Amino acid sequence: MKTRATASGLCGNGRGSAMDSSANGSASTRVLYVLFYALLLLFAVFYLLPFWGALTTSLKQAREVAITNPLAFPSSPTFSPYLEAFAQLKRPLLNSVLITVGGTLGSVFLGSICGYAFAKYRFRYDNLIFTLLVSAIFLPYQAILVPLFQTIRALGLYNTIPGLILVHTAYGIPMCALMFRGFYGDVPDCLIKQAMMDGNGPWRIYTKIVLPSTKIATVTVLVFQFTSIWNEMLFGLIIGGPDSMPATIALNNMMGTLAAEWNVQMAGSMWLALPVLILYIAMGKYLIRGYMAGAVTAS
Amino acid sequence: MVGFLKRNPLLLLVIPLGLVFYFVYVGIGWNLWVSVSDWRGLNASYGFGGFGAYIRMIGDSTFWISLRNTLLLFTIIPICIVLGLVLALIMDQGLKGTNLFRNLFLLPFALSFVVTGTIWAWMYNPSSGILNSLLRLIGLESLTGFWHTSQQTVMPSIILALVWQFSGYVALIFLAGIKSVPQSQINAARLDGASQFKIYRRLVLPQLKGALTTSVVIIAMFALRSFDFIWVLTGGGPGYSSHTLPIQMYKETFMSSRFPYGAAIGNVLLVLVLLLVMPLTYRSYRR
Repeated sequence: MKTRATASGLCGNGRGSAMDSSANGSASTRVLYVLFYALLLLFAVFYLLPFWGALTTSLKQAREVAITNPLAFPSSPTFSPYLEAFAQLKRPLLNSVLITVGGTLGSVFLGSICGYAFAKYRFRYDNLIFTLLVSAIFLPYQAILVPLFQTIRALGLYNTIPGLILVHTAYGIPMCALMFRGFYGDVPDCLIKQAMMDGNGPWRIYTKIVLPSTKIATVTVLVFQFTSIWNEMLFGLIIGGPDSMPATIALNNMMGTLAAEWNVQMAGSMWLALPVLILYIAMGKYLIRGYMAGAVTAS
Repeated sequence: MVGFLKRNPLLLLVIPLGLVFYFVYVGIGWNLWVSVSDWRGLNASYGFGGFGAYIRMIGDSTFWISLRNTLLLFTIIPICIVLGLVLALIMDQGLKGTNLFRNLFLLPFALSFVVTGTIWAWMYNPSSGILNSLLRLIGLESLTGFWHTSQQTVMPSIILALVWQFSGYVALIFLAGIKSVPQSQINAARLDGASQFKIYRRLVLPQLKGALTTSVVIIAMFALRSFDFIWVLTGGGPGYSSHTLPIQMYKETFMSSRFPYGAAIGNVLLVLVLLLVMPLTYRSYRR
């Protein structure tokens, strides 16, 4: 419940802001406003400066990078670093798309089933099982990397895309289950009871009632998982190889080989950031809701 | 099959719970055994081999550097909390464009550590990087430095970059906490003649405990798992100066094939999570 309260608070349904009801317009209030805006702008510069430098550099020729100020926008912007970076990242970006789509669908579907069961059904040891499930969110992956590496090799999935999909699915389930349990808790029990009395089984109730009435929740978790898996690097490094390397690993390898060509590296970073940026701009509301639901683990 | 599932719907849980049970809990047990196994070199071996890996830690100066750096990353927590709280309070003033600023502040958190690590490598590049160029441009030549390429400044550089990445998120959590204080309480306090400052101090801040715990837990988890960003930015260098436990674990295990030692370092991280992070979450689970 708490998840929803905070999430909706951010989305504008909560209480208003501190100054809404206070008397505006006095001189001291105006001074405060100017001060606040100045601070906000200062912080905006702090958060955006690295991106600006990356953008300007990614639009320059290699020789231009060496002689111009990195913050100056190029006099004649070029897209050639983007083409060069894409040529090198093409295959890893495709791998990333496959891994991310597979891992997202797998973890969201399985996490959703868990969330549904733990939100709406009581069974033996349900609290204990749920606690164990959610505690897995806090697992430091270093404590299971060796067994994971051995398991994936034994399954013949080392250096394969299905291997990475499997791993992302497994480690994504706990967070998805937690988020879904919160969202499904808001589906009225009477709806489910009514459907049960009409002779529907849990699976039909899940597909005909719970899923259709929680579309926003599904989108939220999908967006959250997509960005998490897309951004991930450790598993790609451990069980990915030349044939299944995600773009995160490929970008990092580029750094090792092209130490001087910052423009290509920055363009590569932009390629890697692009899907997340698109989601952030198009579905920022859902992403933020996901961050808040993810944060509720501890509050 | 369908009928069977209909009568026993809980069987659907077997797949997800089985995956998590195997990949998390079996993995933890297996890893505990690896750390005391007689596994030497590349080929796995599971006989008992003694506690050599843990004894090795005591005399391994790299381990102590890694542990110290891992704990050093916890300084991100108070910095992010102060910064996040200030930003959240400013964003609570109902200024026009607040949502735009909030989205800008949160942007670094949305991106991959690989992207931000690559960008910060260019930020910190000593010869022609963004930060040194900027400092020269505004006449602060004396502040230019070697940042992540010097043993003295590498950890502060990493901490500054991670504050940049996390503080917007902490601000978001605090802002949500502030917004969830009931308006009726605030109106009542205002009727009693309380000033805005007093309302924040007496009424709002005490209700931010949950947001505070959340922030601490999330940043602490990232600190204990700190691999991607540091691996991309410094690879643990120069020398061993920015090794953290996850970095050392990776190098020992997958670059030097010391599997029991790597497993043991992983177990130390697990213990740190159990000691430092889980107690904070336990109270909230019970509620």
